[in-house]
Amino acid sequence: MLRLVLRNLLAHKTRSALTMCSMAFAVCLMCILQASLIGLESAVTNAAVNRLWIQSAVSLFVPLPMSYEAKIESVAGVEHACKFQWFGGIYQDESNFFAQFGIDPDSFQDCYPELEIVEGSYEAFAQNRRGCIIGEGLAEKYGFALGDTVPIIGTIFPRTGGGAWEFVVEAIYRPRTTAMDRVTMYFDFAYLEEALRAGDSRGAQGVGVFLAKLDDDADPTEAMGAIDGFFENGPQRVQTTTEAEFGRQFLSMLGNVPAMLAAVGGAVLFAIFFAVLNTMLAAGRERMRAVGILKAMGFRNGFVFSTLLVESLVLCTAGAAIGLGISIGLEGGLQSAFAGMIQSFEISSQVALGSLVIAIVIGTVAGIAPGRSAARVSTIQALRTQA
Amino acid sequence: MTENQIELRGVRRSYERGGERLDVLQGLDLTMATGSFHALMGPSGSGKTTLLNLIGGLDQPDAGEVFVCGEDLARLSNQELAQWRADHVGFVFQGFNLLPVLTARENVELPLQLTPLSRADRRAQAERALELVGLTERMTHKPSELSGGQEQRVAIARAIAMDPDLILADEPTGDLDRAAAEQVLELLGQLNRELGKTILMVTHDPAAAEHASHVVHLDKGRLESITKNPERVRSEA
Repeated sequence: MLRLVLRNLLAHKTRSALTMCSMAFAVCLMCILQASLIGLESAVTNAAVNRLWIQSAVSLFVPLPMSYEAKIESVAGVEHACKFQWFGGIYQDESNFFAQFGIDPDSFQDCYPELEIVEGSYEAFAQNRRGCIIGEGLAEKYGFALGDTVPIIGTIFPRTGGGAWEFVVEAIYRPRTTAMDRVTMYFDFAYLEEALRAGDSRGAQGVGVFLAKLDDDADPTEAMGAIDGFFENGPQRVQTTTEAEFGRQFLSMLGNVPAMLAAVGGAVLFAIFFAVLNTMLAAGRERMRAVGILKAMGFRNGFVFSTLLVESLVLCTAGAAIGLGISIGLEGGLQSAFAGMIQSFEISSQVALGSLVIAIVIGTVAGIAPGRSAARVSTIQALRTQA
Repeated sequence: MTENQIELRGVRRSYERGGERLDVLQGLDLTMATGSFHALMGPSGSGKTTLLNLIGGLDQPDAGEVFVCGEDLARLSNQELAQWRADHVGFVFQGFNLLPVLTARENVELPLQLTPLSRADRRAQAERALELVGLTERMTHKPSELSGGQEQRVAIARAIAMDPDLILADEPTGDLDRAAAEQVLELLGQLNRELGKTILMVTHDPAAAEHASHVVHLDKGRLESITKNPERVRSEA
């Protein structure tokens, strides 16, 4: 049967190739959209349960007093507290966007056990006030190496003299999980703080958010209540959230982007389904006389049904395999292109399998309609069909 | 006495066409002995092809009995009829009806997929059938690369590949020139004489009918006459 199916497909090379290309394009797009969705949501789905984020109860953009760090650390269940200041600088050009955060070198590594230093050392970073750690994604994209000075133009914290901030690459990290991205720069918060105090930089003093790492046996809900309660009477009230909730807050800032991506993917699939169905219906009509010949020879209805079903499945799965191959080939380039926008972009086995399953479902459904017609038509009627 | 391969009793078949009932066969009785070669003649609309379809198990009668190769076809389900066709009947059509995407050998091999034969055995049997029709050299050619006569010989090879008891040919020479038609008719005669195949051939061509031992004349769905071709009857005997 497979030989007959393949010969039928090869008999219309252009039509088969075009349908396969449509399926390949759809699967490639689907893989990219799905990987993007998973990447966008990975900050939520892979969030650590023992990390809490503390921001001003008024707004994320209202800084908290620096003195809060010690107070947060004193709350029962909190092991470490760490400053986290969004810097929002520009490297050379606005298009070269990547995140920069001012953190406490003393506690940051304890808060993020998933941080793996792959080049340089954390100690060198901690000892150099102008030092920074960068993700390996940034090193790959911009060619940054250990010892390089990375000039960053401050937008929230511009230099009073108008120059750039200079950070020295002391270490390169690789995240062990997707809870962390690979394209962020972390620098010593003290560098920023000293510049602000000395008047070398403009901008609000204080800390954007604090990160609290909990003891292993601490109850996050209790700890959240305790932290919020601690600052109930000011000077500034805080809002403590889990890491997942904090991530979701950023995701919601994108508006309905995830829903839009899902809708685009769904629409593409719908269109491809009709393209494949159209091809298979045309194939079914052309094949009607052959169906009559097969039936006259003694082949059963199930066989003629299967030939069209298998043809549709071969068309769709071959197209899907090509599309999957292309998306895997594009993965590296897209990781760099999406760096900074999507936490982790990966064509995972889950994404690949999902796309193949969808292609198989489309192939099956598109093959059933012509297959049923072929199975139901009487032998005489099929033989009367013009070739 | 020769056993009957085909026995029809009071067969009726009608169709609805344009809201009108068309009685194509009106109580037909016919017998054909095993190993005979019958030509079925008659004007258009006389019921020749309908009769062939009923005998080949492609259609069912409205009334009457159709016994072919010892089986009452009216009692068989569609699936059983499919199996019965595979076991007992080989079809040869006017338009050859070869699958254009397959080579001559693959076309002949196709019905053999319904048997438990191995791939190698199927191939060998298909090659024997093509050898019998004189197309050994053309096995790997596709139908589009063959002449009409060669295509019809491939169709005959396909019809005999399963070693059927009965060959039903619907105007097998209708699309062929005289020379090719003669070759095909000779081949059918040879299958009848040498391999003992029972053959029923629908034809409009009196010259083609001369190759048969009996000529059955139909008109308006009724059996008009059966004439014998003494020369062919003797050679059949």
